[in-house]
Amino acid sequence: MTEFSSGAQAIVLVLFTTLVTVTLMMCVMAGPDRDDLANFYTGYLSLTPLRNGLAIAGDYISAATVLSTTGIIALTGYDGYVLAVSTALSLVLLMFLLAEPLRNAGRFTMGDVLARNMPGRAVRIAACLVTLSATLPFLVVQLSGAGSLLTFILNIPHAAGARTASIVIVGTLMIIYAAIGGMKGTALIQMIKIVLLIGTSVVVAALVLNRFDWSPGAVLRAAQHGSGAGPAYLQQGLQLGTSAGGRLDFVSFQITIILGVACLPHITMRLYSAQDVPAVRRSMSWAVGTVTTFCLLVIIMGTGAAALVGSQHITAADPHGRTSLLMLSQMLGGAPGSAGATMLYSAVAGMVFITLLSSVAGMTLAAASSLAHDLFAHAVRRGRAEPRTEMTVAAWTSVVVGIVAIGLATTVQNWDVGVLTTLAVCIGASAVAPALTYSLFWRGFTRTGLLATLYGGAAGALLLMVFSKAVSGTPSAVFPNADFDLFPMQTTGLVSIPFGYLAGWLGSLLDHRRRAADSREHRRLYEESEARLLAAAE
Amino acid sequence: MTYADENRYPPSAPAGWPPPHLEPHGIRSGHETYGQSSWPESYGHDVPRYDSYGRQAPWDAAYAHGTHQYDDDLAALRSAYRVLRRISTLTALGSFVVYVVLSCYAPGLMGSKIIGELSPGMAWGVLQLVVTFAAVSWYGRSAQRSVDPLARAVRERAVPAGRNAGATR
Repeated sequence: MTEFSSGAQAIVLVLFTTLVTVTLMMCVMAGPDRDDLANFYTGYLSLTPLRNGLAIAGDYISAATVLSTTGIIALTGYDGYVLAVSTALSLVLLMFLLAEPLRNAGRFTMGDVLARNMPGRAVRIAACLVTLSATLPFLVVQLSGAGSLLTFILNIPHAAGARTASIVIVGTLMIIYAAIGGMKGTALIQMIKIVLLIGTSVVVAALVLNRFDWSPGAVLRAAQHGSGAGPAYLQQGLQLGTSAGGRLDFVSFQITIILGVACLPHITMRLYSAQDVPAVRRSMSWAVGTVTTFCLLVIIMGTGAAALVGSQHITAADPHGRTSLLMLSQMLGGAPGSAGATMLYSAVAGMVFITLLSSVAGMTLAAASSLAHDLFAHAVRRGRAEPRTEMTVAAWTSVVVGIVAIGLATTVQNWDVGVLTTLAVCIGASAVAPALTYSLFWRGFTRTGLLATLYGGAAGALLLMVFSKAVSGTPSAVFPNADFDLFPMQTTGLVSIPFGYLAGWLGSLLDHRRRAADSREHRRLYEESEARLLAAAE
Repeated sequence: MTYADENRYPPSAPAGWPPPHLEPHGIRSGHETYGQSSWPESYGHDVPRYDSYGRQAPWDAAYAHGTHQYDDDLAALRSAYRVLRRISTLTALGSFVVYVVLSCYAPGLMGSKIIGELSPGMAWGVLQLVVTFAAVSWYGRSAQRSVDPLARAVRERAVPAGRNAGATR
């Protein structure tokens, strides 16, 4: 980075400012009417399937996905390839299994889906808490990453003040997008972001292949060499080791990813803004197509980073390789200081910046919507809040969520908090996924079962995560010097997902025994609403 | 749009829903009834979604008398959805689980070189991504063929008896 000219930084800064100005303007213009809830939460169902699909893909591919997946592929090869496949398949699974009934059952938030047969404040509160616990960690990890990322991109000395300033700037922008733009405004930004992301990735991937005369074999050979791992680069095991425990951990990690990522509330929330069932299907087709294309590109980019940058340089800049994409773009552009190098680097930096902004804005909106709709409108006001009040509350909760996230991100910026991403995905897989599948497909599901799944799954994932090897006991953990790793894995999914499902089942059985009348009522409500769930029938 | 039979037995969930203006938010009320006059074209969009508080329905008992035809349609739709869901989900999830398990426990097989640097493991991974495009389009076509007609039938049986039939925005 030292050879990097100040001219490039000026161009990057101008690009960032332009991106921010344009997206802010679009956000304000697309913003919802002041007293229209449906418009704020769903944008009047007015998006075409293509646009909605791009917005779903935009929400799905977060900055964490772009940067860490490239890094993991660059550093671990085969394990990273499997991660790219599971990331794409998670959205496929959402499309096949949940998307259509979810669209029919939901209205604005996850709480609407879960509470449709089980009215009551307890369900709303649980839905809100789980939404927060799944989105906030993700938000914090990306915001705290924003600090080191922006100082890296702009080549500012890694002083704490500069990083905090970057976090606050990104956080403030994110609050503005979420509070002013609502669902429609953030959808616009997601669309811009996904177009830029795919465009830049195609160029970078093409340049990588071009460097090796379009021969995949040559790229792979160079990557094996550059990674320093040799043939092991193309075999499973670099990420978590090849011991029996490491392999089990790897399986657990992949299963958690495939079940958890697509269930996260900020992604399912986009489904409610589809017009009808064929529209949600077409939207998801576009989203899956886009995400799969990106996953193919990320495989090429990650391998290219290993081949051209080399893992020594990558780990020197960031042990998790999150800067590998940027380093690759510096490498590909040609001689340092040349026009090509500057242009490519600025494009990739701009793409990373807009990806970061849009993904944190989407998550803030999801968390704030749940607070305003589930907690305020339904739990506090028992469903009797004025739409106008709820809108105002939603805007203010965006501010509150944003400020809390900025505060947390600033606090943890010196720690290695990548584990929070895993935590969010684990909660998605162990609490959200069981709750949604039971609620949509099992007529014997009861209120106790729902609460047990949500609280049990989330608490199980959280507890196991705290005592996992990702938090303490290993050199790459959050607290490398402490030693309270009672759970010998990096991911909790293998235990916490079955636990979440089991909790829901046992809770429902308990209700069938103890409160037969209640559970019959729940079953009746489910059957009564089945036509709507399956056919969108009135 | 009067069906004597169905008016005698108000069929189902829909009848159990209070008119839109009773909904606590009243937000969608302007749009909820829209689209029903032009029924067959609109695919149930603008249909109001759930609101847990809107269901203190006085017509609950009516459900017990739901017409047989309607129940049959719903059962057919339910099983069509179930078949589609099971086939597609199990294929996607199953192929991936086999892939991960083989990668972990048969590294020799998955890491062996077939052409140049290409190993079965890499080929499988990339192939799975490529096949995804085909799988998604297959799913769309199957759903259109097996599920959509049944869903349309269920909606058509549900709507004529509804109080809002013919209402416009």
